[in-house]
Amino acid sequence: MAREHLVIVGNGPAADEAAPFLRKGVPDARITIIGREVVSYYRPDLLPDFVAGKIAEEDLWVNPLQFYKERDIKLRLGQNVVSVDFSKMELALEHKEVVRFDGMIIATGGKHRIPEPLARFRELVLTLKTVADAKVWIEKLTRVESVLVIGCDLTSVVFTKAILSLGKQVTFFFDPSSPHLFGRSESIREQLAHKMSDLGAEVVDCSKIAKLVQTREDLIEVTTEAGQFRAGAVGAFFGMVPDVKFLTGSGLHIERGILVDEYLQTNFKRIYAAGDCAQVYHPELCDYWVSIGYSNARELGRIAALNLAGEEVQTEAPLSSIFKIDGRPINTSWWMEA
Amino acid sequence: MLRVDVTVEVCGTAGDGTIAAGGLLNQAMSESGFSVLGFDSYPAEIRGFGRCVTRSRIGDRDISALEDTANVLISLDDSQSRARIPFLAPNAAVFFDSNPPTYIQEEDSLTSLLEPGTVLCGLPIADLATEASGSARGRNLTALGGFAGAFGLDPAPFRKVITRKFEAKGAQVLDANLRCFEAGYDFGREQLSDRVPEIFGPRNITEGPERVMLSGNLAIGRAAIDAGLKLYFGYPITPATPIMEYLAAKLPEQGGQVVQMEDEIASIAAVLGSYYAGSISMTATSGPGFALMTELIGLGVMAEIPAVILNAQRGGPSTGLPTKTEQSDLHAAVFGGPGDSPRIVIAPTNVEECYHFTMKSFRIAEKYQTPVIVLTDFFLDNRVENLPMPKAGEEEKAHDNLYPSESDKGNYKRYAATDSGISPRSIPGTEGFQYTATGLEHTEEGIPDYSADNHMLMSAKRHRKIQAALADLPAPEVISPDGALDVGVISWGSTFGSVLEAVHTAHEHGMKVGAMKITSLFPYHEDLIRAFMNRCDEILIPELNFGGQLADLIGRLHGKDVIRMNRATGVPIAPSLILKEIETLVMEGGK
Amino acid sequence: MRTQARVLAEKVAGIRDSDLFGVRSGALPTWCPGCGYYGIHQGLNSCIQQLGLPHHEVVTVSGIGCAGRYPFFTNTYGVHTAHGRAVPLATGVKMGNPALTVYAVGGDGDGLAIGGGHLPHAARRDVNINYLLFDNSIYGLTKGQPSPSSPMGMKTKASPGGTADRPLNATLMALTYGATFVARLFAGDPNAIAEALVEGTRHNGFSFFHIYTPCVTFDKSFKTWDNLKKWVHPLPEDHDPGDLRTAFDQVLKDDFSLGILFKNE
Repeated sequence: MAREHLVIVGNGPAADEAAPFLRKGVPDARITIIGREVVSYYRPDLLPDFVAGKIAEEDLWVNPLQFYKERDIKLRLGQNVVSVDFSKMELALEHKEVVRFDGMIIATGGKHRIPEPLARFRELVLTLKTVADAKVWIEKLTRVESVLVIGCDLTSVVFTKAILSLGKQVTFFFDPSSPHLFGRSESIREQLAHKMSDLGAEVVDCSKIAKLVQTREDLIEVTTEAGQFRAGAVGAFFGMVPDVKFLTGSGLHIERGILVDEYLQTNFKRIYAAGDCAQVYHPELCDYWVSIGYSNARELGRIAALNLAGEEVQTEAPLSSIFKIDGRPINTSWWMEA
Repeated sequence: MLRVDVTVEVCGTAGDGTIAAGGLLNQAMSESGFSVLGFDSYPAEIRGFGRCVTRSRIGDRDISALEDTANVLISLDDSQSRARIPFLAPNAAVFFDSNPPTYIQEEDSLTSLLEPGTVLCGLPIADLATEASGSARGRNLTALGGFAGAFGLDPAPFRKVITRKFEAKGAQVLDANLRCFEAGYDFGREQLSDRVPEIFGPRNITEGPERVMLSGNLAIGRAAIDAGLKLYFGYPITPATPIMEYLAAKLPEQGGQVVQMEDEIASIAAVLGSYYAGSISMTATSGPGFALMTELIGLGVMAEIPAVILNAQRGGPSTGLPTKTEQSDLHAAVFGGPGDSPRIVIAPTNVEECYHFTMKSFRIAEKYQTPVIVLTDFFLDNRVENLPMPKAGEEEKAHDNLYPSESDKGNYKRYAATDSGISPRSIPGTEGFQYTATGLEHTEEGIPDYSADNHMLMSAKRHRKIQAALADLPAPEVISPDGALDVGVISWGSTFGSVLEAVHTAHEHGMKVGAMKITSLFPYHEDLIRAFMNRCDEILIPELNFGGQLADLIGRLHGKDVIRMNRATGVPIAPSLILKEIETLVMEGGK
Repeated sequence: MRTQARVLAEKVAGIRDSDLFGVRSGALPTWCPGCGYYGIHQGLNSCIQQLGLPHHEVVTVSGIGCAGRYPFFTNTYGVHTAHGRAVPLATGVKMGNPALTVYAVGGDGDGLAIGGGHLPHAARRDVNINYLLFDNSIYGLTKGQPSPSSPMGMKTKASPGGTADRPLNATLMALTYGATFVARLFAGDPNAIAEALVEGTRHNGFSFFHIYTPCVTFDKSFKTWDNLKKWVHPLPEDHDPGDLRTAFDQVLKDDFSLGILFKNE
């Protein structure tokens, strides 16, 4: 008697929340988590604190491997899903392995966005999404004293705080035309600028970066319309785009992220999406909102799992917590935590 | 703990070049200055379809055993390699083809079985090989290259050993093979080096004479050659056949020959005949063949004719497990056969001892005028170690027959009951000293005699003679701190290698533990063994047989029951298992 | 004047000086009076003497049976081995020291039953030893069981209803196995034995001597002295020992023609 196979693609907060709920809801199923990173699940929201030295690496990790064994959840790390065939209910891994499934939660999160004009300087800037990224930062920060933070997305704020706490000099580029939160709401903009200054960062209004040049090992020169700036390192925080490219052509309805209803189900039955990669339909809004942030991801992961297990739980995103950025509704609790 | 202690496995199906890759790896690591111990397993059937696995343990200190787990798996055939997954250490690195010709279903794939934490090192092995050389035949070298590149190993020794292996086949073949290796190496270095753990440590050059890779069987063969052997009589049997084949090629160079007899009985008969005529010879066999030799070994004992018999033990009883290792012929070797027939039994524990013990056996057989049985086991015979090529001193090679003196002429007693038990032995061709060697009980003159007193006299003589051999046989060695010990671990054969490692680790943990190596199984050094046992609270005897044959032999020397660790698994006992036993005993002893 | 007594005395002196009896050891043979083995012993001793072989350069190798005791009765080196194993041990002796002259001896049980597996290989190997098979078609030492060369229907204590199996033909087997020297002889003619042995010893290869002999104690009906004397006769005058086919024909049609059947130098 074959057990049904339920797959979670991704191993971030949404996936981590979903897995045990799935196991509880479907005790007999085979459950597999497929994560691209070679390391086990860790708290991405704590990365800035890790960079700042406020927590140790061990504190990032959440579940020992025993956790998965006890729940009979198969954990496949360092493996990449390259395509999914929803009619055959098969996914293909990077090394040409085909895995059949009966239900799926896509929780691949987002990947860093580097705006087109800066794409050619990709090699010179640092991002902060993974533990590996964090370690690069930690190593860099032993050698440099100044950091330039560009992009001004939500993470940039927490990151700036973290860097400042190390006693480094931070220049924060404030782009009024940024599609992110502060761009649209004047008061929030002002609040943020003051907050940054209070913390000790130099806030600069800058909307256009012309070029970046690495003049020395640990020195980067940035040319903008607001003048020349120098820093030991440049951090790019232009927000995330849902990591769903591998699903193009699969028949899944995707806008920027995977479109799901208020039950987090996609246009395919028993296929769900949760976390940063999803756009969730809000029946009152009659529109899709994008979730950002750690708590949202966990919440959506939980709901997706419960629903895949056969329940019918709606997402609850109070209208008040939904903002629009660049025309898109965004739900985040994260900004409040900052 | 070793700074470098890595076990690398190459796994494939017959025809993948698995064994060749493993062999090149062993040699390259040896050339790089590491200690290497390698052991291959072949499919049992002659035709393909079987799994080939090579296991190589690489370290910066002398290695005496293989562990159960592997730190690196190089898969040349994923469906075969699946069986090796349970033996991977945590955080092992697995090299596999990331672009197989067809899609693989989850239930057949290698990666679906891997524990999280395993480092996946996929590389397009077949593609790289084909790109580099025009065909995928050299994929084993590409995979080897991928491994070497990923771990940042010096490629020069690899190129050297590949060249040595293929240069006889012409420049084109050699070039193609080198390219396959390079293609894998470059990929590994560029794409995989940042994900693999740092387990090879700094490059290590061991000082001293040049090391060669030598298997137990080859060491035995070399010893026979160096001893001046001219005659080998034998019958093919796994795992002793390679000795015969090696000597078949080499003996003619020194005017000797291998004579393949019709069975093992004929083989031992011819050995006895040759020794009777004054010429050293030997035979090598395994359990079933050894059983056939039982009667004539008895003849050698009774008629006091020397013989050298090598028993390469394998799984038993009967046809047993021909390609698996075991140490279950001890009873047969020491006691096998009717009557009180004491004979000499020795057992090497590593490749170097295989050489020296074989060398020694010719002398001892001659001196004590008796069959000498050298017990090895499948693991010891087939594994390779790197060591300086063993050489025998002149003293080791010397002949040692006790000739009669001229004054005995006309009154020669071939079986004189001397104090030592050794009677002067005349060799055919010596005038005036003719005698008939017989399997019947006989007088000192060699005349058949069944009387009561004579049988007691001659039995005592033969037993006394064998006990006298203690002076010439290797004494047990003890590795321990001074004073009283909580646990003493006694073992023999290749199992001792595992004991040695376990005990060294125990020492590093501050445990009061000792190891005793017994190489002379009969006669055995009762006093020395008892002295060691008396220092120990508990005696642990690990051995690869079900009943505990060494424990049966010497257990009685301990004041109380010895603790038997018997394994009839067909695979060597891993040091970690022995260590666990030791730890348990030490803890229990504390209570 | 040379009287008959004088001639006799000279002959005796000659025999004494010839060291003919030097080949015999001091031990009294354990064979029954009238046993055919005495004749064989005589023949081999004579051969050794005729060839002038130093006694210490000769080795006799025996198995188990009445013939097993053979080496004790000859003043040469000897090995009394296990049942059926004389031939391979003798092979080892010869290869160990090719300067020695080696004679393997044994009965029909030793050579055709338990030792039967060694005969083909000694012949194939063409090792330069001489093998005397004392064929009395019975197991004497163990007191009268049938042997592989016993005729069908032979009644013994072990076969009260008569043996059920057909006998093996040792000469035929030797020829089939490719022995390069095959002779068939009779214990009652030691001179012929000596002659054949001399030629066979000289032959550089495996020499096989199938020797019919009675067992006076346990076989009162088949191979008795009387029967054997009646049955045996020499090979035809024109027998060509160089031709294998002739040898086969001879052996297939005649069990008791004696002489050197085949010789291939």
